[in-house]
Amino acid sequence: MLSLGSGGGKSTKPSFVSYVTLEDMKIKEKEEGLRSKHPYLLPGEVVFCSANHVLKYTQEDASQRGVYGTLLCTNFKIAFISGESASQETAPPFRNKLLSENDIPLTCVDHIYGVSDEKKKLIIGGQVKSKYPSKLIIQCKDLRVFHFSLTYAKEEEAKKIFQGIVHHSLEPKSLKCVFAFSYCETASPSQASRKSSLTLMFETKEDWSMELGRTKGNCKVSSANEDYAISEKLPQFFVVPFAVSDDDILRFLGKGIPFWCWSHHSGCALFKMACLPTIQEDGISQKYMHRMLDAVTQDQLCPVKIEDLSSCLPALQDLQLSYNKFKQLFLIDSTTEFWVSDMKWFSSLENSGWLEIIRQCLMKAVEIVDYLESAHTSVLIVEEHCSDLCCVLSSLVQIMLDPYYRTRSGFQSLIQKEWVAGGHSFLDRCNHLYQKEKEAPAPVFLLFLECVWQLLQQHAPAFQFSETYLTVLSDSINIPLFSTFLFNSQHHRDTAMKPGHPEAQRSPLNFPSVWDWSLQFDCKAQSLFTNPLYVEKPIQDKALRKTSHQKHQRQLSLPNTLSKPSPRKGFFKEETDNLKKIFLGKRISKWLNPTESSKELYESWQRKPLDYQGLLLPYLDGPAVRVWMQRYLRWVPEAQIFGGGSITTVNRVLELASEIQDLQKEVERRSCRMNSSIEWKQVYSGPPLSARLSSFPFTTTHAWSFKPAIPSSIRQGLGSVSSLADKEDDDSQGSGVL
Amino acid sequence: MLTGSKTSFKIKQLVPDFKDKTLNFSNTALRSRETSDFKCLPGERVLQRTQPVRKPRAGRGSSLTGALLCTTFRVAFVPEEGVAKTEDRDSVPVFLGEHDVALASIERVVAVSPSRWKVLSARSSLRFHPEELVLFCRDLQVLRFHFEKSSAESAEITSAIARVYQPSVPASLSSFQRSALGSVEVKQYLSNRGADPQMNWFEGLQDWERELARTGATAWRVSSVNDRFEMATSLPKFNVVPQRILDTELKRTFAHFTEGRIPRWCWHHPEGSDLLRAASFQSNIYHEKHDARNLEALLFGRHPQCVIVEVGEDMPPPSEIQAAHSRLRALCLGDIPASLSVSDEKWLSSLEASRWLDHVRSCLRRSAEVSCLLAEGDLAVVLQEAEDRDLNCVVSSLVQIMSDPHCRTLPGFQNLVQKEWVSAGFRFLHRNNYTRDRDKEESPVFLLFLDCVWQLLQQFPSHFEITEVFLLTLHDRAHLPLYSTFLFNCQRERGRNTQHLSQSYTPVNGWQELVNGGLAPGSGGPSFPPVWDWALHCTPERRDSFRNPSNTPLSPGAVPNGNSETPPSRELSDCSGSGPGLVLLFSKGSLGPAPHLLPWRNAGGAASGWKNHRRAPSRDGLSRLERALKGQPLGPRGPLLPLLLGPCLRVWRGCYLRGALQTQVPPPVSSHLHVDFLASEVERLRGRLALAKGLDRHGNCKRAESRGTNQKPRQETTNHNFLFAGNRGTGCSPERRYTQTPTRGQKHPKLPP
Repeated sequence: MLSLGSGGGKSTKPSFVSYVTLEDMKIKEKEEGLRSKHPYLLPGEVVFCSANHVLKYTQEDASQRGVYGTLLCTNFKIAFISGESASQETAPPFRNKLLSENDIPLTCVDHIYGVSDEKKKLIIGGQVKSKYPSKLIIQCKDLRVFHFSLTYAKEEEAKKIFQGIVHHSLEPKSLKCVFAFSYCETASPSQASRKSSLTLMFETKEDWSMELGRTKGNCKVSSANEDYAISEKLPQFFVVPFAVSDDDILRFLGKGIPFWCWSHHSGCALFKMACLPTIQEDGISQKYMHRMLDAVTQDQLCPVKIEDLSSCLPALQDLQLSYNKFKQLFLIDSTTEFWVSDMKWFSSLENSGWLEIIRQCLMKAVEIVDYLESAHTSVLIVEEHCSDLCCVLSSLVQIMLDPYYRTRSGFQSLIQKEWVAGGHSFLDRCNHLYQKEKEAPAPVFLLFLECVWQLLQQHAPAFQFSETYLTVLSDSINIPLFSTFLFNSQHHRDTAMKPGHPEAQRSPLNFPSVWDWSLQFDCKAQSLFTNPLYVEKPIQDKALRKTSHQKHQRQLSLPNTLSKPSPRKGFFKEETDNLKKIFLGKRISKWLNPTESSKELYESWQRKPLDYQGLLLPYLDGPAVRVWMQRYLRWVPEAQIFGGGSITTVNRVLELASEIQDLQKEVERRSCRMNSSIEWKQVYSGPPLSARLSSFPFTTTHAWSFKPAIPSSIRQGLGSVSSLADKEDDDSQGSGVL
Repeated sequence: MLTGSKTSFKIKQLVPDFKDKTLNFSNTALRSRETSDFKCLPGERVLQRTQPVRKPRAGRGSSLTGALLCTTFRVAFVPEEGVAKTEDRDSVPVFLGEHDVALASIERVVAVSPSRWKVLSARSSLRFHPEELVLFCRDLQVLRFHFEKSSAESAEITSAIARVYQPSVPASLSSFQRSALGSVEVKQYLSNRGADPQMNWFEGLQDWERELARTGATAWRVSSVNDRFEMATSLPKFNVVPQRILDTELKRTFAHFTEGRIPRWCWHHPEGSDLLRAASFQSNIYHEKHDARNLEALLFGRHPQCVIVEVGEDMPPPSEIQAAHSRLRALCLGDIPASLSVSDEKWLSSLEASRWLDHVRSCLRRSAEVSCLLAEGDLAVVLQEAEDRDLNCVVSSLVQIMSDPHCRTLPGFQNLVQKEWVSAGFRFLHRNNYTRDRDKEESPVFLLFLDCVWQLLQQFPSHFEITEVFLLTLHDRAHLPLYSTFLFNCQRERGRNTQHLSQSYTPVNGWQELVNGGLAPGSGGPSFPPVWDWALHCTPERRDSFRNPSNTPLSPGAVPNGNSETPPSRELSDCSGSGPGLVLLFSKGSLGPAPHLLPWRNAGGAASGWKNHRRAPSRDGLSRLERALKGQPLGPRGPLLPLLLGPCLRVWRGCYLRGALQTQVPPPVSSHLHVDFLASEVERLRGRLALAKGLDRHGNCKRAESRGTNQKPRQETTNHNFLFAGNRGTGCSPERRYTQTPTRGQKHPKLPP
């Protein structure tokens, strides 16, 4: 009704014409006003300002089609409530409970552009303006782009909403203003305190001992930092080698201690360590370092290798720069620009350098895996604060080596262990508060998810979670509600969640964790997080594996049977080396030169049949590292395949799996002999997914009808179509003369 | 010829014993002469043999150990452990085993020792004992063999291969063909191969009529005016033309087109449009009045409008396709003499610089545009290219793949290639350049087409019955000069070659009576089998993976069915009237009126009769077409429109990168294997259920019946879900394939290594 111009397929003029008078709209608004505004608000959410008759463009080209509605700015989000959507559309199958389709959390806003008089201008917070632009372009951190026109709104409202949006989303604010605080004060505690039981949060001593026990780690849990006595950066509990005493930990306030991350079944382990402050007198710190290294090696009975990340991986600023360049490739405003950029696509992709950074991280991780897996050497990752790229690498190494971390609960535990407890400064890196003087923001966590995605797309059956899960997780970073991503360290969180004033009589706030997915998605939508093709660990093997692990544990000093070279291996290896040396001698490649050793790892790994429950290595050559299409292209209507994409295959698998489930139930009902046999995971059941688009869970079908079928200069050419008839006129006249 | 060495043994060719050879032409008979575990073809000789040799497996797993043989036909590798498996003789393909490579597809032989390497040719001598032998093939495969001991033996087999492979000498090509196909047994065997009933060869009259009936085209007929190739040598004998043109009228039109390639019907869209293809107009010819009328009729069919699509415009010429392909090849393979490997950081920009994906994109784009035009209905879309023998083949077949679900099935795809490439006269021989004497004309147009199909396949995985394995196999076989499909430039050459041979190598309906009086088999050169006879050169496992079980089957309505769906011809009266139809030119991505396009309309005399040129429907029609191009929703049954954005076009890794030394080639993506597994699980559970039911009733004879009743409620859904159950046809039954169901402990699909 209120959408204009979109209904008529025969619309001849590509300009917007309003056929509804202002009076009509007012009536409409009165009818809907009460109903439409409030159901959208979450507990604790307050509307700051709103404007009616805002036009949201549904297509960002000359035709200017759009939907009218109300634009709201609350303390949580910028929301657009369209006048018609509620009645027309049924709920999409994959809906975020917190946010509807047109909502932008304030922390998700990346850039805002104002367009006035055909000029596009970046809007920077802090500049109070009396004028407001006629068109507002909001780019989000999850790469959505919204175009709002304020032309038809009342002047006062428009001014207010513009200033409100700019103020609340682009200007520095204090942590207390973040929506999570007001949400948790009002939300019912039972809702917030629910925890997913399988995910280890690594907040208690028990969690750490459980993890130590699972990996047969030969270390101890230290509670020296209980109540943050030593350092505010460190978690309350952490794991260190036996030889590290509490005094050692106290010495440099938590710097220079090897923190245990994970133990390989051969007995060697992965550690990470923050650099010592450099001002120390050499003698003391050197002696100290030696002691720490000894502590690492003596306990583990194996040599240690130190990896200093500052020398081999890009700096955080480069990361941010490169990601910004990369992001621009997907934030192209108009369709035509997209086609133009086509031709240079690959080189501009390469120029951004983002894929190269991903490759470098994976490469480094493979190197570390090589030390652990084939040389049985412990690895100590050293970084300045040991909370950025250090987290990326240690988590990647663990995912590659340990199948547990490829399950959903394992993956979540890993993030808790390495990132949350490891003290990654989520708040600073995501720059949710827009505090400019703070450390540079950098998409470190996103880089990690990108690396995991590369692994996932290369070895899909090895992961229990799906690509969609990763995409949703990357979106959740920008929802200012979850304790997981809101703080710089555990201490930061604990102090922030304490009641601010002594007179506040309530118990400490309990922020929801992001792992409580039911807060965002219902069960049906959550079933899309699991990979239906996951190859699970065979059950009988479990007992066998356990014993074999214990065996390895006891024969620490003996050579591992796995790594024992087969009699032919040497012969084979030498030859391939020759060939590559000769043929590829002139090649200057990073993965051949510094990682000679990991090449052998690759070769021996490739010689074995692929075991999805075993070691997993990424392919790193040029064509293997790819763009995470689902995340980056899901909002681009031009990049959506109608009725295609890999989602159709997944769909088919789900269908078959649910059919098997049904049959199995039937079989089990009929004969009790089979009751112990196979039980299938609960996969997506219910009506078949209506996956019409390749970007399935994220965009519903509304955009496709505007998709240009012909991706060429036609669109520009058609601008002059009205003159075609005239041209023909001329032509026929010309021939008439002839 | 070759002097056998002392260390290796040589098998003398035995004279075929005709008395023993009964008329039993089974595989076993053909492969009777075997050397221990290796079975030669009757015309083949083993030149060298060495053992043990190790062949690293493609993908993963340890290498295979076995014997390496060099014969007059191929380089064969016989794995030791594989012998037991091939007991079932019928499963062994006649020509090439899974580990064999035909001599003709080898491009370069390289010997490698720890310290040096050498590219070998027939004349070069090998002065060291190689440890490894690397065969670079023309189909972008790289085969590597490691010798256990680098001895004189390894040097001998290496130089033996180098001596015989020689692709550049035409004589070696024919000797290669003779050794594979020349023997009497093979000829007889081939002539007795049964026809695939699903194949449409597009050689006889009935074949075309079948296609007309299938697509529901009514206003067209098959003309045999070119029966003796008198009108156009490169055209097939039978061509489909509008019904209202008489043969006598038709004869006069050939001269107006380059090489006499008149507009011919290709395909009928269920909405009413027709796709035609033609060569360019001959310019220096006088157009008589009634000629012009016939020409118009030929172009328009029964439609009021005709859109001429300049296919060659903005598209790469064949020479550029060849250049791009060799750049891509160098990038992917890192050609040895050039040693131009690209580092991973620069991979993407080098890929862009090869421009191969640009060409893929332009082909797909042009085809998508034409598909949209066709979907509009009531148009004649004429694809026009200078010679109508290169890009027209690509575009017309891509259009049909996008628009016609039938062309995405295995038989449909084969028929399509037969129709738009083989019978339409694509110059396979010159473009493939088997003899290496036509370097200027060599151009991988067909491979470009396969790449385009692959792009469609990866964007719409559930719309195709054919799989990547099928495309890859076809890609590889196109490099092999063994098949009638790829060895000739047009139907005339193909027919001439086979006419004096066995008449029945092509199981065509209308063929036998035309070529009766052929000579007895055994005389003359070899007769070539069509590439579509997959049982000859592919293992059953490979053939099984040609079909994708997860494909959504064609619902009956989706197949264009002429009987039910031909829309009433809307403006039939309009076009059969006196005035000329509207001619539109599709150029630079937009439509425009182009009255000057038809040369006869410019000629003063002819045009004078039609003064009232511009008529009402023109503007109407134009806007309708514009809408089609603007991308109004075409609905779920519209054509598959591929995305052509930078990130959406990919490198066909499975094809171009499988031989690359510097890349770590991952195992082939095998999601369809999972689906296979799941489907087999369903079958197994069904069986159990049926069994359980039978037990419940204490009646052993009731099993079948109970199964039937049990399945009733689910029948509708499953029947079209499980395509393979009904469609798996000749390959092998699902029961046989899934005998090794997984053990109970295994919960989830486990991939075969």
